[in-house]
Amino acid sequence: MKKLFPVFSVLLVFSLLLAACAKPTAAPATEIPQAATEPVEATEPAAETITLVVWDQFYRDVESQVMETLNAEFEASHPGVKIERVVKTLDDLKVTLKLALAQSDGPDVAQVNQGRSDMGAMVQADLLLPLNDYAAQYKWDERFSTSVASRNSFTPDGKTFGQGNLYGVSPTAEVVGVFYNKGLFEANGWEVPTTFDEFEALLAEIKAAGITPISFGSLDGWNAIHEFSAVQHILVTSEYINDFVYGVNNVSFDTPENQEAARIMQDWVDKGYFTDGFSGIGYDDSNKLFKAGEGAMTITGSWQVGEFLTDTDQTFGFFLLPSNEGNTRMAIGGVGIPFAIRKTTEHADLAAEYLDWMVSERAAELWFQTGTLPAMPLPASAVVEEGTLSTDALNAWNTINRENAVGHYIDWATPTFYDTIVAELQKLFGKTVTPEEFTAAVEVDYAAFLAGN
Amino acid sequence: MQVQHRWPGESRFHGWLYILPGLVIYLIFVFYPILETIRTSFYQWDGFSSNRTFIGLENYVSLINDSQFLQALLNNLTFIIFYSIIPILIGLALASLLGRRPMPGMTFFRAGLFLPQILSMVVVGVTWRWIFNPVFGPLNMGLRSLGLDALTQSWLGDFNLALPSVGSIGTWVQYGFCMILFLAGMQRIPEDQYEAAELDGANGLKQFLYITIPNLRAELGVALVTTMIAAMRVFDLVFVTTRGGPGDSTLVTGFLVYRSAFQQNRIGFAAAVATVMTVIIFVISVSILRLQSRAEEEK
Repeated sequence: MKKLFPVFSVLLVFSLLLAACAKPTAAPATEIPQAATEPVEATEPAAETITLVVWDQFYRDVESQVMETLNAEFEASHPGVKIERVVKTLDDLKVTLKLALAQSDGPDVAQVNQGRSDMGAMVQADLLLPLNDYAAQYKWDERFSTSVASRNSFTPDGKTFGQGNLYGVSPTAEVVGVFYNKGLFEANGWEVPTTFDEFEALLAEIKAAGITPISFGSLDGWNAIHEFSAVQHILVTSEYINDFVYGVNNVSFDTPENQEAARIMQDWVDKGYFTDGFSGIGYDDSNKLFKAGEGAMTITGSWQVGEFLTDTDQTFGFFLLPSNEGNTRMAIGGVGIPFAIRKTTEHADLAAEYLDWMVSERAAELWFQTGTLPAMPLPASAVVEEGTLSTDALNAWNTINRENAVGHYIDWATPTFYDTIVAELQKLFGKTVTPEEFTAAVEVDYAAFLAGN
Repeated sequence: MQVQHRWPGESRFHGWLYILPGLVIYLIFVFYPILETIRTSFYQWDGFSSNRTFIGLENYVSLINDSQFLQALLNNLTFIIFYSIIPILIGLALASLLGRRPMPGMTFFRAGLFLPQILSMVVVGVTWRWIFNPVFGPLNMGLRSLGLDALTQSWLGDFNLALPSVGSIGTWVQYGFCMILFLAGMQRIPEDQYEAAELDGANGLKQFLYITIPNLRAELGVALVTTMIAAMRVFDLVFVTTRGGPGDSTLVTGFLVYRSAFQQNRIGFAAAVATVMTVIIFVISVSILRLQSRAEEEK
């Protein structure tokens, strides 16, 4: 069975492609003989249909509706263009996209996950179209700062991350911070903390009140990275995080700051600040518990805003994890998975126009309405209501964007980093390793990568 | 015993023609991918770019030195207890309860006990993940309602409990198959053997040990081979429940193949793991079948 996986994925991709190609090729074939047999009837010449195949990973309801709306409006303003949308989960997209992009009839536009193992590997395999010319044509630099654009950039050999050609544009932005239950905060007279010391004092106070301070579940693994790295981000400098993620200047993971962040994690475990039994709870389940009013806070990304606004009787707010004086106020953040263009597409110009539409003011407005942070500016006419969860998150993003304090997802650092740090963090949270052993084990992965690159 | 291979007037070519459709499908979809996997295991390849580098046995060398692979292999072997041995024991017990004497509602019990086997592994995994949830899962809730709060656990998140927890899901799935297999086998055992034993004064347990078990030797062999293969290639259950965590405590080779191939773009290494696993499974299956046929001959 294992050996058949590659074959199955190829078959799957092929069948999708066949399905995608079936319509446009079949249509003209049936029309031509019709026109020949009935020359008297003055039928309008059928405009040639161009089908743009787009793979995206906005499978959640609210996100999917935004994409459907944007696609419909794009089709309306481009007669003769049809968008063939294929929706996948991120996992599925990651597995199938590389093979699909290598086909001459793969998707014209697709969301390509950032980082070395995805975008980097695809650039290396020469599968993606450099977007520098289109960036100039559509003035994307006015919408995105260089720090944001560098996240979608690689040198043409795919080896150096963060510089070189632009390969994608991201419609959405993300910032990792603290969601809090406003009802619980008001009932107990708790205030949003402004320093990390205040934050830890608040954790103790919440615990003393018999409430879970931080709703958390580490069974799925990946969100444990955010828990640790959010604290790491307020202890290290932004130069360090940049160097670390882009693999330059030979930095190490085995540093006193990272050990301190790891020590804080174990301290919080000891003091019972996380949900009881968190190691056996999945990410979605821990959010369900938080939505139901269990737990005063949860540390996760702004992508959850929409989720926390629907199907709940609780009211939530959002703040950036505060740093102590003297430390950089920085937060994990970035732009969402970018749209990229297949290098061998026949419709490059149209695809670029589609990308521009994905990062237009209209798109910004639609995304913001659903509680998702747009990476590009909102139109001046947009209504922003103060005091809502969406506005809290937008303000947080604007703050770190303005202060040049947009951090990184550290799992981008090496192709194996995600698996390594997830396993090591579970050991850290399970207290089977010390903070020093944790940073040393992760450093082995990172040093091996630096040595091999 | 010699069997006549060709009937008079029938060419050998004729025979090949009959199996041709099946053979072609087999060669294209099973045999060729296997060869291709073995070939890939000698290369360094990211899976989609055109540059493959031949590196000989290097993938196999790094495999032997890879602590994760060894851990995963060890976990697979542990899964044999949960996928193979316990289900066969439960299957035998249930079959001897349901098989010998007819009782009312038998079909209901047989069908009900076989049910886990026909469910999709993903459905099983998702359901058990919920059952094991420390906060709102029925298992911990049940323990709490009995006043056994001290026994509540973070089942899938605990370093010592995760593997047995996932393994016991495997047990739940596999025992139905063993039971049906043994039930079918027991239909074949002539009733007079039991009658003779009963006249000689053998009790139920003795009848089970000296009549039922020896007569089920063929079924036991089949059950052992199929369930052991299932234990060695477990993937879906781990993928849905723990993704190999916490740490590497539930990592299995099947998941390692997936992770290396599709998340880390190390297709050559993944192919080497798959090849080694195929060899191990082959060796295990052949030795069980050999043992069984030898025992058969002795009889």
